[in-house]
Amino acid sequence: MNLTRLALRNIAGSAFRSWVVGLCALLVAGFALGTTLIMRGAENSLKLALGRLGADILVVPEGTQMKVESALLMGHPASVWMPQDTLGEVAAIQGVAVASPQLYLSTLSNASCCSVSNMFLVAYDPATDFTVEPWLETKLGKSLKLGEVVGGRYVFTPEGEQKIKAYGYPLTLKANMEATGTGLDETMFMTFDTAEKVAEVSRVDAEQPLVIPAKSISSVLVRVKPGVDPQTVAVEILQQVPGVTPVESLNLFQSYRKQMTGLLQTVTLVMGITWALCVVMIGLVFSMAAYERRRELGVLRSLGATRMFVFRSLLTEAGLLAILGGSLGAGLTALTVFLFRNFIINTIGLPFLFPGPAALAGQIGIGLLAALVSVALAALIPAYKISHQDPAVAMRE
Amino acid sequence: MKVTGAVILILALAMGILSQFTDCLSQGRLLMLKDGKTTVPMKCHWTGLAEAAVATPLGLVGVSAAFSKRKETHRALAMLGVVLGAVAISLPTWLIGVCSNPMMLCNSVMKPALILGGILVIGVSIVDFVITERKLEKVG
Repeated sequence: MNLTRLALRNIAGSAFRSWVVGLCALLVAGFALGTTLIMRGAENSLKLALGRLGADILVVPEGTQMKVESALLMGHPASVWMPQDTLGEVAAIQGVAVASPQLYLSTLSNASCCSVSNMFLVAYDPATDFTVEPWLETKLGKSLKLGEVVGGRYVFTPEGEQKIKAYGYPLTLKANMEATGTGLDETMFMTFDTAEKVAEVSRVDAEQPLVIPAKSISSVLVRVKPGVDPQTVAVEILQQVPGVTPVESLNLFQSYRKQMTGLLQTVTLVMGITWALCVVMIGLVFSMAAYERRRELGVLRSLGATRMFVFRSLLTEAGLLAILGGSLGAGLTALTVFLFRNFIINTIGLPFLFPGPAALAGQIGIGLLAALVSVALAALIPAYKISHQDPAVAMRE
Repeated sequence: MKVTGAVILILALAMGILSQFTDCLSQGRLLMLKDGKTTVPMKCHWTGLAEAAVATPLGLVGVSAAFSKRKETHRALAMLGVVLGAVAISLPTWLIGVCSNPMMLCNSVMKPALILGGILVIGVSIVDFVITERKLEKVG
């Protein structure tokens, strides 16, 4: 009988012990994978959102930074306004290459004139835009016409309908952008002309009209000239343009980053406690098992098995239980996080993007490794002790 | 076998109860018809009701599996568990469905919970089936 078969027989022969060790391995692997998946997913999502925005500086009305960040990252519609003249003032700052205005709007909630409820809408100026337009050129080879929109990953035309109705105006969804795991996935992008047309039609066809304050914009996206420090330009904007807050892309979503750090600390603490408890539990179970099996192992030694063979058989048993429990834990965690990803976004208030197959495989490997190391560590001392016991003493006791 | 029966019973109860409190109707969301006055429940509500109808026999399977001593009965109950688990998954995904918006409670909680519950029911039933088969082979 080889080492693995002996270990498997021992596992099958002591169901309770095997279940306890397997469950501990399941917990360790599940926790390690869950934490890595959520934190990495949130981090990637933030990076993608920044990339999608594509601006070096975002200029918003003073005191509205949180609102705008929440709209861009979590899709909670924001209604913020500043005078249209701000655009000219920002564009005139030295070092600014392009300045493009945007309007932040939203559909009505539970209204028959809107087929999508409370959706964040972004209107942009196609003449100056450098975020949506380049993507459109690559994807569709043309700009959006009047009445056409592009949406984030989760924007869709309702079943049985050909167009998305907003304030009674039918919009044609031309394409969907790739998922970012942020509010941008539930945001609809349209040109200024379409937004104005929707506002015009809404006065007659909507339950409530869409109001766009005259000569107003919600934000200005700024791209600086090559070689120019965005921080210097942001300071210039702050000093020269009154009533606005320039936010550098590096400082964007700072509150979410802080929230993420806080969450990471809490999760690490919980994981540390769980890990310690699991290691102690596995250690106790293996100590008990080693004590119970001292005669059996003594017989094995007296039949010619070396100390190393006994030591290795116990560690193989622990390793097999760690792999079985860890695989189940990692599989269940990956499935749960994948299925509940939208619930996670809503609950923790952070963006989240599920990793691709390669990254997922790597993270599952980390979870399994954590389970294997924990179980091996806990089983090491009892296995060493029992394997070094004198067989005659072990059988007599 | 008592353990697998108890697990199936708990899963059936969880799926049956959860689906009643995570549909859009339970959140006060209704579908407005084109006349602008009439409201009707969205399809997740019907999925919730159908899921309760599936959870009832599934719960009975769990109770029977926990108390039954005959191996042949266990084998039949395990097969029934696999079928009911598959039906529980297909209700929110294929047979009826839930609302399309991924951020709605029915889409973000009810659907994944029922899929996960269904997968666990199938997994536990398969384990039960394999163990019973082995025992029957030994007896035979």
